[in-house]
Formats: sequence, structure tokens, C-alpha cells
Amino acid sequence: MAATTTPLPVAPARRPRTALVGAMLASGAAFMTYIGLLAIYLVERSNASLAGAEWFPEGVVELGPSGWIFWTMIMSIFTVQWAEWSIKTGDRTNGLWALGLTGLFAAAVFNQLWFIINDTGFTLVGSTPEFMFFVLNGAFIVFLIAAVSFLALTMLRALFGQYGARQADGVGAAAMFWNTVCVMYFITWYVVYVTK
Amino acid sequence: MTMTESPPATETQSVAPVPSPAVGLYDWISTSDHKRIGRTWIRASLLMLLGTAVVGILIGFEQVDASSVDVFGGDNSYFQLWGLYRFALVLMVAAPLLIGLAMVVVPMQIGATNIAFPRAALAAGWGYLLGAGITVVSVLAGGGWGALDGVSQDEADAIALTLLGTGMVIVSLLLGAICVATTVISLRTSGMNLLRVPLFAWSMLVACTVWLLTLPVAIANLAIMYVDLRGGPLTFGNPEGSDAMYAQVAWVLDQPQIYAIAIPALGIIASIVPVIAGTRQIAHWVMVAFIGVFGLLSVGGWSQPYFANTSDEILYIAFGLAIVLPVFAVIGGAAATLAAGDAPVGLPAAHLLGALGAGVILLAAVVSGAMKVIEPFDLIGTSAHTGLMNLTALAAITAGLAGLWFWAPKIGGGFMPSGLGRLVILDFIAGALLLGIPQVVAGFFDSPDLMVTDIDDSVVDAMSLVSAIGAVLVAVGALGVILALIASMRGSGDAPGDNPWNGHTLEWATTSPPPVGNFDEPPAKVVSEAPLLDIADEEVDA
Repeated sequence: MAATTTPLPVAPARRPRTALVGAMLASGAAFMTYIGLLAIYLVERSNASLAGAEWFPEGVVELGPSGWIFWTMIMSIFTVQWAEWSIKTGDRTNGLWALGLTGLFAAAVFNQLWFIINDTGFTLVGSTPEFMFFVLNGAFIVFLIAAVSFLALTMLRALFGQYGARQADGVGAAAMFWNTVCVMYFITWYVVYVTK
Repeated sequence: MTMTESPPATETQSVAPVPSPAVGLYDWISTSDHKRIGRTWIRASLLMLLGTAVVGILIGFEQVDASSVDVFGGDNSYFQLWGLYRFALVLMVAAPLLIGLAMVVVPMQIGATNIAFPRAALAAGWGYLLGAGITVVSVLAGGGWGALDGVSQDEADAIALTLLGTGMVIVSLLLGAICVATTVISLRTSGMNLLRVPLFAWSMLVACTVWLLTLPVAIANLAIMYVDLRGGPLTFGNPEGSDAMYAQVAWVLDQPQIYAIAIPALGIIASIVPVIAGTRQIAHWVMVAFIGVFGLLSVGGWSQPYFANTSDEILYIAFGLAIVLPVFAVIGGAAATLAAGDAPVGLPAAHLLGALGAGVILLAAVVSGAMKVIEPFDLIGTSAHTGLMNLTALAAITAGLAGLWFWAPKIGGGFMPSGLGRLVILDFIAGALLLGIPQVVAGFFDSPDLMVTDIDDSVVDAMSLVSAIGAVLVAVGALGVILALIASMRGSGDAPGDNPWNGHTLEWATTSPPPVGNFDEPPAKVVSEAPLLDIADEEVDA
């Protein structure tokens, strides 16, 4: 048995991608939380359907505004990838513009969601469909705020030169989380607004 | 059986262990050293273990004679503490203990200088402590996971706090899991592919992945109930009273999900045994594969009540039966390695006892689980559920304790007391088996999962008494662990040296205690799962 440190030859240095891996795992966990809520929504809707009850009253939950959110989020996917690519290639100006534009799209999504919630006239303590609608949209807003905060932090770091051509993992991580939130919305859009 | 003794006197140095540098409160709450962060998790989880074990004793004696013994002052209080015991044992003791152990050991095992996102790991530790504190206080204030006699307004507030506390604990565990999994994925030293990762680190990667995929569903359940409690229409907190809230999250404590908590136990067993045997693990890649299979079969988010339907029942039965195989395979692999090695004969070391005991308890758990899913036995809804949960969680905790004794030189810089360790771990193993197996047996006699009224059955009464004795042994074991930890922290005993057990993996290539940054220089390019054995073999060849 050895009682002293075993001498070891030196291994070559590697560049870890902790930010990307961590963001992937966090995005997966956030996605599973949201999918859990969505699954409960679907089960409640299925129960209502089996009982012969109406889920949403006709014409209350409109497809139009939710479609605008859908297209806004599609555009934001392009801008966030633009930001990542720009910062990776050392084009900080374009990267900051792209991040700013993504933030603007996020604000637009928030505004449109607010409009939808007010337009439906639903209350949290109303019927099961109203309650589930609120919970789902509320959870989405929480994830949206988290993604925007992540993007804002990334933007600040890029602004102060922490991210650039040599190190852009943080931007990639923020983009990954943003894209996950977009996928959350796409599923919600289909489940809540299209199939109602 | 071939066993080993604690480190021989010739291999220890008769000087006091190097004490950890004195740290102030600020250092303690703001450190980014993974070893200190891990120690915070471990100590907090062991304190929670003691508290949980005391609640377990009270529940055990209440169940011996449910109609005449009234420890808790009413069915509702009993139900609340019964729920607390379960969630605390799994989410506030077993999982944090294993995460804490992983935070200390895994970075060293893979040749990293620190854990990934150390500040997040620290924040997760404090979040876990805060969440656990909120949960315990809220349950004592009349909260819990529902109320059997109806939810009053005061209780609704306390219950909301319980849900919040539980949610905080789960989020903290997930954050800790992200740190550990990211470390294994992205900070491995050169040459260490996933097949060469030490089995404890691999089992933690599998466990963290499963936790990250499944526990968020529990957060969704908690969030729905939290909002619903504020006047929502789903009536989880219905004024007539029921255990509907508990039922929504009970899947976390039931099979297959409960097995996810014990995934690292397999890794700890498979890490300790080859070192004791003094040889390489036989068929290392098979162990890697079966730990992965065990992880896959313990994914249980789909088994929550919302998703229950016929196809799920088929899955439930299939998973319950199939999971026996990987446990047998891993324990068989470890046993074959022990038999093939040249472990010295003698009184077994505490960590070997713990590893073997954890294997036996886990085997008892999966066999109980397999019986539970066989419909003619009619065990669903019986105390077999509690028995299975106790066995699985206590297997994980026993493995965690084995790891604590095994990696003590790297965790705290000194040995844990070996004599006390043997006693404590033997007591813990006996307690776990006496606590869990009688509950499974009582299930065959229709003993309910939540026993609020007495069952007129002499077998059930006898099993309840044995189970209560098991709960006492577990509590005594928990107290013994705390005492051993205090003795270890006081620095009594011999200095362990850097590699007292002749370990095979990289954590044994650094000093005890390891320096900040773990290694004075980056570790060697790894070419197998046992890099220190490779070096020893090269020296022999030379």
C-alpha cells in the first residue's frame, strides 16, 4: 500500500464546455417541469371531454393572437442564433444587436400573452379550464422571464467583452435555454390554442 | 468470505492529520471549494437523518397499536408526520447525502480541479437547508401534504408553506444534480471516456440524469397544488379532507421512481469492493451497462396518478419485475470481483460492511418491489409500499455511509472511527432490514399503508413491533454516525496517508486532505478505469 502521493505524468489541457452542458441539463429539467404541467392540462381536458363538458366556451380563446406569438418566437430563434454566431465570429456589434432584438421579441411575446389573458376574461378561481389556462400561461411566463434574464446577463457580459470569438459558450447556453422556451410555447400553442 | 481490516498500522503515519485551515463564517457561506460545499450537504443530511429517524420511531410505535397509542394527538397530526417522515427520508436525507458525497469525491475521481458551477452547488446546499427547514416547521405548524379531517384556512397556509418547502428542496437537489452531472460530462481528465469513469461517478451521472428528467414533474404537481390551494377548482385541499394532495406526489416515493434514489448505491458498492479485493472490477463495462439499465428502469415520472391507465399498469409491472436483474448483476459482479481478488481475511472494514449491507438491503427492496407488482399478491396500497420505500432509501443511505467511511481521508482529511463504524453500520443494516421487511410481510396480511386504525391481526401486530424495533435501531445508528463524524472532525487517530486503501481511481492520487484545486499538477492521461493500478502494473513491468 502506498502512503504517499502517486506521481503522475501531466495530461494535456482540455477546454471544458460546462456552460453548454449545464444549460442543456437545466433546459431539460425546465422542459420536463413544463411538460408535466401540460400533461396535467391534457388529462383534465380529456376528463372534461369524457364527461361531455365543454372545455373553453366557443370563441373565448382565439387562435389569432397566439399565432402572432408563435411567429414572434420563430423570429426570435433566428435572432438568438444570429447573436451566437456573431459573437462566436468576433462580430460583437452584430451580436449585441441580435441579442437586443431577441429581447424586443421577448417583450412582444409578453405583451401578447398579457393581451390574451385579459381578452379571455378568465380568473384563477374560476372553472377548471380557466385555472389550468392560468397555470400553464403563468408557468410559461416564469420560464420566459428566466430566459430573458439569462439573455440580459449574456448581453451584459458580451458588452463588457467577457464573451467573444475565443469564448462564446455563455451565449450558446443562453440561446439553448431560449430555444427550449420557444419549444415550450410551440407545444402550448398546438395543445391549448389549436386543438383547444 | 474474504474480508479486509481497516488500514494496517504499517501504512499509517503516527502523526496527527493535517487539520483543515480554520475558516470564518463568511468563508463557510461563500466558499467555492467543492469539498467544503459537499461537507455542508453531508453534515446537513446526517442531522436530518437523526431527526427523521426519531419521527420514524414515533410512527413505528404508533403503528404497534394504532387504536390505543396516540403519540401524535390525532389522526391528522399522525398523517402529517407520516408524510414528513417519507419525504424527509428520501428527499432530505438520502438524496442530499449522496449529492454531498458526490460533490466531494466525483471531481477528484475524474481528475477535475473543482466541481462545475461551484457557486450554484453552494446555493443549492443552502436552498436545500432552507427548504428542509421550511418543510419541517410548516408541518409542525399544522401543514403537510393535505389533511385527513379537512383543510382549515390556517392549515391551508401551513400546507402551502410545506409545498413551497418541498419544492425548494427538489429545486435545490436538481441544481446540485446539474453541477454533479456537468462535472462528469465536461470536466473529465484526458483519456477518461465514459467507460473509464469510476463507477461511483458514473452512477451519479445516471442518477442525476434520471432525477433531472423526473423530479421536475413533481415540481409541476406541487405548483398545481400550491395554486389550487388558493381557491382553485381542483380541490386537492378540499374542505371535507382527504389525502389527495399526498397522493399527487406519492409517486416520488413509490416504485419505480423510488429506485432512482438508490442508483448511486450501486456505484458505491462497485467502487469499494474492487479496492478491498485488490484487483480490477471484473467486466467493468457490464457494470457500467447494468447501472445504466437500473437508471432507465427507475424512471417513474409516468407513474404519477394523472397518467395512470392500462398501458401504464403494464409498464408498472414490467419495470417492477425487470429492475431485479440489474441489481443482481451489479451485486453479482461485485461478489465475483471480491472472490477473484486477494482480500485479506479478518474483521471487515466499516465501508465494506456498508457496501455489502447496502447491496443486501437493495436486493430486499427490489425483490419486495417485484412481489408488489404481481397482482395476485394484492400488495398495492398496503404497508408493503412503506416497506419498499424504507428499504430502498435506507439502502441508499447505508451506501452513503459506506462511502463516508471509505472516502473519509478525502472528505475530512482523517479516518472515521473504524470500530464505532462497524457497530454503527451493522446496527444500521439490521435496523433497515428489521424496519422494512416486516412492513412488506404485513402487506400480505392487508396491513394498510397509512394505518390510522388498529388491524385485528396478530401477524400484523408482531410485524409492526419488529418494524418499530428496526426504527429504533436506525435512530441509534444515525446517532452513532453523528458521534463518529464529531470524533473524526476532532482529528483524533492516525493520519491516513494519501492512499490508505490502495485505491484504483484518481481521488487516491492526491493528498489527504486534498489541497484546494485537488491536484498539484493535472492528472495523467487515463487509459483504463483504474489509472492507479495501471501505474502500479507499469512499475512492476519495469
